[in-house]
Amino acid sequence: MRGARRRLAPYVFVLPFVVVFLVFSVYPLIFTARLSFTNWRGTGAAEWVGWDNYTYLLTNPAFWNSLGNSGVLWLLIVPVQIALGVLVAVLLNSATLRLRGLYRVAFIVPFVTPLVAVAQIWVVLFDQGYGAVNALLGVFGLPDVGWLTTSTWAKPTLALLFLWKTTGFIVIILLSGLQSINGSLYEAAELDGASKPRQLVSITVPLLRRTIMFAVVLQTLAVFQMFAEPFVVTQGGPYNSTTTAGYYLYNHITRADLGTGAANSFLLVILVMALSLFFVRLLRAKD
Amino acid sequence: MYRHHLRRRPARLTVAAAVVVVGLGLAACGPETTTSDETSHILQAPGADQPEGEITIWDRSGDLFEVFEGVIDDFNATYPGITVNHIAVDIDAKLHNTLITGTDVPDGVFLDDAKIGGFADYLWDLSEVLAPYTADIAPQKLDVNTVDGGIFGVPFDLDPGLLFYNAAALDAAGVDATSIETYDDLLDAARAYKAAVPGSGPIHLEQSAFLGQLQLEMYASQLGTSIADAHGELRLESPEFERILTFLDTVREEELGTRAEYLTPTDLAELENGNQVFYPWAIWFSFAPQQLLTEAAGDWRAMELPAWDAGGPRSGAMGGSSFVLPREGENADLAWLFYEFLMFDEAGYTAVWGPNDVYPTGLNTSIPSYQPAADPGTPLFDPVDALGGQDLWVVATEAGAQIPGGAPTPSWWAGAVDYLGNDIQRMLDGDLTPAEVLSQATQSIQTNLVDRQ
Repeated sequence: MRGARRRLAPYVFVLPFVVVFLVFSVYPLIFTARLSFTNWRGTGAAEWVGWDNYTYLLTNPAFWNSLGNSGVLWLLIVPVQIALGVLVAVLLNSATLRLRGLYRVAFIVPFVTPLVAVAQIWVVLFDQGYGAVNALLGVFGLPDVGWLTTSTWAKPTLALLFLWKTTGFIVIILLSGLQSINGSLYEAAELDGASKPRQLVSITVPLLRRTIMFAVVLQTLAVFQMFAEPFVVTQGGPYNSTTTAGYYLYNHITRADLGTGAANSFLLVILVMALSLFFVRLLRAKD
Repeated sequence: MYRHHLRRRPARLTVAAAVVVVGLGLAACGPETTTSDETSHILQAPGADQPEGEITIWDRSGDLFEVFEGVIDDFNATYPGITVNHIAVDIDAKLHNTLITGTDVPDGVFLDDAKIGGFADYLWDLSEVLAPYTADIAPQKLDVNTVDGGIFGVPFDLDPGLLFYNAAALDAAGVDATSIETYDDLLDAARAYKAAVPGSGPIHLEQSAFLGQLQLEMYASQLGTSIADAHGELRLESPEFERILTFLDTVREEELGTRAEYLTPTDLAELENGNQVFYPWAIWFSFAPQQLLTEAAGDWRAMELPAWDAGGPRSGAMGGSSFVLPREGENADLAWLFYEFLMFDEAGYTAVWGPNDVYPTGLNTSIPSYQPAADPGTPLFDPVDALGGQDLWVVATEAGAQIPGGAPTPSWWAGAVDYLGNDIQRMLDGDLTPAEVLSQATQSIQTNLVDRQ
């Protein structure tokens, strides 16, 4: 009797998680999979359309454009954010820095500020005719730039907003990684005459590799699912140049084209999983 | 170790299989996706003289919510047995999910006209309850609420397009705006103003893809047409749309326009400094002189839109909203009484558009779509100080009475912005001709929206 209880105990402990997992993850996943093969619009009969939604998306330039936009945003955001994050984290971790607590708070404030409020400020700052940024450029004799009104500049402007908003979060993650590095390594390096930059390149970055990869995976997911930023700042424009993969998916849902939306979700899941696996493999290869 | 791993494999497979089986079972419990019932969806008014019950009404948060909130007491004076549970809701975010799940469905909802077609399957057909009023409702509002012969919304406001103009700046330049009768006259007036004020862009050119398309529909409504007909067939490639786009393209080509998004900092600054003096827009632009303009407040006036042909209609509709009654609502028939009072009872529409706690001089950003309430001789709201004391009521109601019918809104209207709205902007960039916009947008909308309905 006691043996049976002991064998059952682990299953009882994991049961609450399994129930939640089934209801909130497995069920939506399977329901969405079924939906992706129909033309259901939320009411009435759902006609089975086979692979039609998938072929529609895969042959639709707008779908690839949304992936391309997310890809460009990834390039504009993630490498810059990681480099910036490491530098700031190292500075904030320095024992000689005064008011460290204040700086740490300052860096996390943008992350906890409501995006809608920030977006409104962004719209005003980057207004083509009367924004502060163009006014500053004017001081140096530079022409006005259509930051939010030209497809050339809308993505970098959106990337800048994302960087400003989320870099503090990445800094916190990297800071926790930094604090797990044994200080004696730096002492030994100093005794060997290694300069600070050399210590950064030869000790900090290699030992932070796992944390950096974690941050890269997190931000890759965030960039490909990015929705709120283009929604409130550019509404995906101009000319769909800031329609990210997440925003394009949202468009199907709002048009009640739930079958195509479901198929789009699955294609995104596959893409994001492939990217995450790639980074995990990269990490393992280095190990 | 390897053997231990092998022993576990069947167990893992069993667990995975169990997860899939349970998941499939749960998926089968999802919303019904196979059939629709054939019961009547035509709403009947309640039979009792003094009906009782509770209704849940969704409105957008903001000033209109407060206005409707203020009418509830008046409604209860007539219907004391009906309790109104009035809630401010992000309707765009919540309505669709609520209707799909059928949970906590409200009895009445405030909804943009452009969205009604997309929700018709969930809504009561109001043809019978509206029958006593339909002859007196603006035809354009009936068009946008009609889907396959049924009427799915109680028409709320009519938003006539007007030509707002900076009278002080135009007077100073020696241009008489009041003599403008056609769009050709408008172009001539703009040319004259530009000659007097070099560097100006007299006519507003909308830079938002969404609002640009909405403005295009205003011009089209004036010509009695719209993107699609009542059967959902596209009719963009028509002389009417070519004419409208050619007008806009002329404004661009001759540098007679100020390209800006509606009431963004650039737009406001150009309105204030006298560079932008003509604003063809819906009546709700009157919000700008009243709330946003400082230096030029009082300089602006409104008149009917120019006609496309001399003697033609002097207005088209731009935007607007209605009230819809979901079939899953518990007391939709009582909600109908609420909206009937609000829109068709003098006490109701006077409380909405007349002076109230929210708008001491009345709600002057729209007019009633119920024609007896929109009588030019019986103003509901007062003259507008920010328009130099002009009687906007008279201008708007006379313009509204000229809006032709025959301009329904397809359910996919908002989705067309990705194609038509963007292509208009490309034309304003000088990258497409009007004919290219129409053929390209037609093809894209047909493929991506119409064919996928």
